[in-house]
Amino acid sequence: MNQASIPSERNIDSPPFDLMQVPVLGPLFRWRYARPFLQAPLLVVSVTMILHGLFGPSLAPKNLATTLSWLHFRGILVLVLLCAGNFFCLACPFMLVRQVARRFSRPRFTWPRVLRNKWVSVALFVLILFTYELFDLWSSPWWTAWLIIGYFLSVLVVDGLFKHASFCKFVCPIGQFNFVASTLSPFEVKVRDQDVCTRCLTKDCIRGRRDAASDLVVIRGCELALFQPRKVGNMDCTFCLDCIHACPHDNVGILSRLPGSELLDDSLRSGIGYFSRRKDLAALAVVFTFGALLNAFGMVSPVYAVENWLGKMLHVSHEAPVLGLIFAVFLILEPVLLLGGAAWLTRTWGSVKRAFVPLVVRYSYGLVPMGFGMWLAHYGFHFLTGLYTIFPVTQNAFASLGWPLLGEPRWTLTGLPANAVQVIEIGFLVLGFAGSLAVTHGLAEEDSPAKPLRAFIPWAVVCAVLFTASLWLIFQPMEMRATLMNG
Amino acid sequence: MNCPAQPRRCRLVFVVVAVIVGIGCHRPPNTSSDVMVEFQIKPDPVRVGPVVISFTLTDAGNHPVTGAQIAVEADMSHAGMSPVFAQANEVRPARYESHLSLAMAGGWVILLHGTLPHGEKLERQFDVRDVRPKLGEL
Repeated sequence: MNQASIPSERNIDSPPFDLMQVPVLGPLFRWRYARPFLQAPLLVVSVTMILHGLFGPSLAPKNLATTLSWLHFRGILVLVLLCAGNFFCLACPFMLVRQVARRFSRPRFTWPRVLRNKWVSVALFVLILFTYELFDLWSSPWWTAWLIIGYFLSVLVVDGLFKHASFCKFVCPIGQFNFVASTLSPFEVKVRDQDVCTRCLTKDCIRGRRDAASDLVVIRGCELALFQPRKVGNMDCTFCLDCIHACPHDNVGILSRLPGSELLDDSLRSGIGYFSRRKDLAALAVVFTFGALLNAFGMVSPVYAVENWLGKMLHVSHEAPVLGLIFAVFLILEPVLLLGGAAWLTRTWGSVKRAFVPLVVRYSYGLVPMGFGMWLAHYGFHFLTGLYTIFPVTQNAFASLGWPLLGEPRWTLTGLPANAVQVIEIGFLVLGFAGSLAVTHGLAEEDSPAKPLRAFIPWAVVCAVLFTASLWLIFQPMEMRATLMNG
Repeated sequence: MNCPAQPRRCRLVFVVVAVIVGIGCHRPPNTSSDVMVEFQIKPDPVRVGPVVISFTLTDAGNHPVTGAQIAVEADMSHAGMSPVFAQANEVRPARYESHLSLAMAGGWVILLHGTLPHGEKLERQFDVRDVRPKLGEL
């Protein structure tokens, strides 16, 4: 399929909307210090969360660390990814600290070649999901604060030792989440006119802009090895604005596009390669999708029954092995059966000639919209039903400092009613389901032009299974559980 | 890192590490009081819906503490859920009782806020880790 040609054809018909042309936003993003300007407030919030997590109330609903982390940050993050793009990575406070640290000490090493993939970050992503369930991170301000501190320290260690944005590209689990989710965002950082890039001799967007006299880099090029003219989509793009600032021709914009269209695009991507050849990226997409269901499953009543039943079967009273088994079922067994079965049917019934594993890899990206729908439903629920809790928690924080500036905390102030939010949740799931159907159908059309329906149906069934499971999950009685078992 | 050559940087790193460790090792102190609270919640196991919280207050000499003004607050262990408030009534000397309705299954924390007869403040926290769904639900 000539997917690469589709966007350019679209461009001829209607030029994409460019956020850089928007008053206020455009000049802000062009400003050299835009990133630190956006990072600084989040750094202040992060430090406040750490201090309140360590010194404030030990009860999660009364602490800024837990309230902001597990309600507001996650909710705002997924909504911004849905409505705009990866703007959290742009304003990432960890990178501001890294930048300051690099003024004192420059990294000397390059990231090991063997680790230049997503396997480490996939493992960390799973580890965070696991520890979140095992240690009930949402209920502990103290551990939440240490998680944030741990993140700052990890950034300082990794990017203190290794050049470029090694942490963002190869380690950061939040970043990987954002990269995958941003494939469905309506905006991407992209060149406006390829001809300008063809004529460009300096390639500052990747090399960085150099001072003519000293030949020192004065504006950094892309630290994630994304060469703008050959960059496709949002994968690995932190929206850091470096390429926008470095381009001497002002030829890089933040352009609108069809959300999810890059999941159909298997052209060679700068800094990434071919999607269909990246098993690590496919694993990330699978963890992203099935992890969404798993993370939601940990919050509903049936998980009690399942854990207790497994505990009895295995004769264990500690939660870790039982949880490990549930993780293995959700993140390994279930994907192997569903994706493996669908790929086998696509090859045999749909007469698709691709080899088995590449076929699985290729279609795994098609499930990302469904996974994102579930993340949106889950995080959106907590965010919207707890929307106003930030006010009493902040009031209480001020009061505990002896400054009751904002009056008595009004603890009954929570958020939108759960039944209203449930309608929005269903909307997110339907959107995700439709997106997955569209992407897998597009892939099937390309793989089997003669019998696209036969190649598509197995994947449509997988999407339907995930959609049904997601719907079932959001209709379950929710359970804000503490430790399930005795361990 | 060569410390003698870069004392300023070393000091900075030391201060940052010391502050982080110092902060991290700190945990908020528990409110201390000589008053003993014998806490009970019914039904057992606790289920979503109405619950009765009862507690007995005794002082260090095991004498009953009567006439305390105690408010009961129930919070979920997760942020974002509305807490429940009620006043505790002294149903017999030193025995207090409060009626609440828990809206959701999962982990709850019961807080007692009050004033003892001599004006001393009382703050206590009890974890109710496993509130089950209503009968008939999972």
